[in-house]
Formats: sequence, structure tokens, C-alpha cells
Amino acid sequence: MTDQQPPELPQKQPSTAIPTSAQTKPAGPDPDYVSMEGSGFSQILSHLLRKPMSIVYSFNHEGKSPASALLLITLVCLAIFGFVIGIFSAGDQLWAAPLKVIGGVLFSALICLPSLYIFGSLGGMDAKIQQVIGLMLTFITITSLLLVGFAPVVWLFSTSSNSSVFFGFLAITIWIVCLFFGLRVIMRASQCMGGGQGGHLKLWIIVFILVTLQMTTTLRPFIGKSDEFINLEEKHFFLGYWFTSMSDANQSEADKLRSTEKIKVGTGAEAKKGKHKK
Amino acid sequence: MGMWQGWTMATYVAIKFPLVILATLLVNGMINGMLAMALGSGIAFRQSFQFLLAGFALMSIVLLSLSPVALFFVFHAAEPTDPGAGQLHSIILLSHTLMIAYAGIVSHSSLLGQVRDFATSRLHGTRTFFAWLAGNLFVGAQISWIMRPFFGTPGLEVQFLRDNPMNGSFYDTIWKSLMNIFIL
Repeated sequence: MTDQQPPELPQKQPSTAIPTSAQTKPAGPDPDYVSMEGSGFSQILSHLLRKPMSIVYSFNHEGKSPASALLLITLVCLAIFGFVIGIFSAGDQLWAAPLKVIGGVLFSALICLPSLYIFGSLGGMDAKIQQVIGLMLTFITITSLLLVGFAPVVWLFSTSSNSSVFFGFLAITIWIVCLFFGLRVIMRASQCMGGGQGGHLKLWIIVFILVTLQMTTTLRPFIGKSDEFINLEEKHFFLGYWFTSMSDANQSEADKLRSTEKIKVGTGAEAKKGKHKK
Repeated sequence: MGMWQGWTMATYVAIKFPLVILATLLVNGMINGMLAMALGSGIAFRQSFQFLLAGFALMSIVLLSLSPVALFFVFHAAEPTDPGAGQLHSIILLSHTLMIAYAGIVSHSSLLGQVRDFATSRLHGTRTFFAWLAGNLFVGAQISWIMRPFFGTPGLEVQFLRDNPMNGSFYDTIWKSLMNIFIL
């Protein structure tokens, strides 16, 4: 028993974070808003999680932008997350869900880009349109990367859960959690670019979240089987559609339970009758 | 934990219980590491795994220290085939759940202090710890459900895993039970 020692806890070591050289002095109020050291793929991945503001810095102050690497990471991450979502229904959804997730996220980003530029400017952000595109790309990439982190959790439930309502709720919750981390970058970047974290940007965040939630209904079905790839003819607001789907699912579940109860009661009554006859 | 149902169940549970912890760590490993970095704790991927493993190790030691008490009660309990075994099953289930909860609280409160000390700030450490805890509880519950039975319901066959263990989820079952109570 004395041999059972817990593994050693990590020892705190002198910070190995990227050193700040003369070239990488903080250019704004955020200490992470500094130049990125190296531009390799793994360094970009590490910076996205540890120091996302350095990616924004490279878009704003350096000629070499990591846009292509970010776009590639986004596409791969969203495809993996979409595939894991598709496992729930299998069949055509294995290829349809990744396509819809990629399309939905990129289209949401595209239609919200002008409002980010305008709302950011209204909040005092001093940025060119290219810099706002870079900021949007960084935000989407961080969100997508975190979605991949959740992929094993989604896979676990996609292979075991039978409830499309629960699975849909889980996917939306994970999306919101990941968005929270991505949107924090936009708020921090706004401060670094001369703006604040005021009402305009918060309003934009609400708009973006609403757009992505509506996208889940517009590009339906992500979960469950359907004969059509996309159903654009029937128009629904996402809340109305979710409530209808939930009440349908609950109704069918209640019907199942009731019929099971009836069978049990019926079998019990027959058994009693049999006993009386005997 | 499995001794009440005999040596076969005890052996099964001895294999499954470490597997639950390992599977939870593996499924959540990537997101735990990412969250630690994204929350600015300064804790790297490998370190997040080490922290959580240390927490689970402490929990196992607390549980090990309680196992003679559990064994004492099990040896003095009625057989699973005896009348009234259903009630005893509920008592065993509840007492073990309390023991596991106690071990979990002790180990995680110790881990919280260590994560806070290690992180770049106490706030970052606290946030990271609770993000890990939420994820591990959520996934751990499902993995335990997949790996059931641990105690063995009286009247049901002693099995390593139930038939179709991946059919349904812990949360589906809770939802169905609620529906059963409120709708029927």
C-alpha cells in the first residue's frame, strides 16, 4: 500500500513563455499584444491558445500574415467537428454535417464581417478592413480549435445517446462555450486597437450568436436523417423550430412510455384473469 | 465495490473502475489542456494531465483507505438472492456514492490549492480547475454509465458490461425518468 504514491505534480519552473525582446515590446494595453516568435504551423497553434493577441498583432503590424494557416486550421477543425456530429445519424450525414458546419460558420462570419467593422469603428477601434478580416479569422480559428478539443466528448455521446434533443442541446452548448473563448479575443483586440469593450461590440456579439443559432435551423438537419440536403423552402425562426422539435420528440417519447405502460397493465390483467380461470 | 455480488463481480469492477478514470482523462485530455491554455493558467497539455492524474491518484488512496470499512459491511450484509436484497442494494449504492463523493471532494480540494499555486494567478487557476471539474463530471458520469454494472442489481445477471452498453446515455436515462414522473 505504501508503494501507491500519486504521480508527481508538475513543478513550477521559470516561465518559458516567449521572451519579449526589443522588437516585441507591448504595443498596447494587453501584454500579449506582441510580435509572434516564429511562423511555423505548431507555433501558430500554440499562440492561438496561449497568446491569441500575438496573432492579431501579426495581422496589424507585420507584412507576413498567417491567414492561410489559420484558414487551413479552421477548415480541418470544423470538418472534424462536423464529422463527429454526423456520426450521431451516420449515413449521408457523415459528409453532409461537416460541409454544413464549415459552410454555416464561414457564411456567418462573412455576413457579420461588415457589422464587426462598423460596430468596432463606432466603439473607437482604429482598424482597416484587412485587419478586421484578420481579427475575424483569428476568432473563428480559436473557436474551431476548441471545438476539436471537445470532439472526443461529442463522439462519446454521438455513439451512445439516442436522444436527438439531448445531442442537439449538447452540440449547441459546446458551440456557445467555444464561442465565449473566441469572442473574448475580439474584446481584447478591440482594446488593443484603440477601442473599448463597450455596448457596440457587445451588441455585435449578440448579433453573431443569433446568426449562428439561426444557421442551425437554416441549414437543417445537422442531426437526424432527411431526404433533402438542405430544406430552404420551409422557413422557421430557430427558437420556434427548436421548441417544435422538442415537443415532437417529447410527445413521441411519452407515447412510447404510455404504450409500454399499457402493455404492462394489459399483461398483468391477462395474467390475473388466467389465475382466476385456473 | 463488487464484492457483494461475489468474486466475479469484484474482479470485473477492479478492472472497470480504473478504466473509468483513464477513459475520462483520455476523452477530456485534449479539451482540458486547451482550456488550461486558453484560460491563461500557464499550465501546458502534459501538466494538465499530470495534475488530474495526481488528483485521481489521491482519490484512489482515500477510497483504498475506506475499502476495509466497505468490505466489513458487505460481508455482514444479506445475500443478493435473499428477500429484501433490493433495499440493501439501495443502501450499498448510496453508501458507496457517499464514499466516492467524499474521496472526490478531498482530492479535488487539495488539487485546487495546487493548481492555484502553480497557475499564473489564483483567479486563472480557479477558473481552469472548475472548467476541468465540470468537464470531468459531465463525461465521467457517461463513462460510468457505459461501464455499468458496478454493484449489480439483484435479479440481474452478473456481467462485465450490460448488453448494448453504448445504447443510450446517462442523461437520456435521467430525462426519461423525469418524463416518467411528470408526464405519465
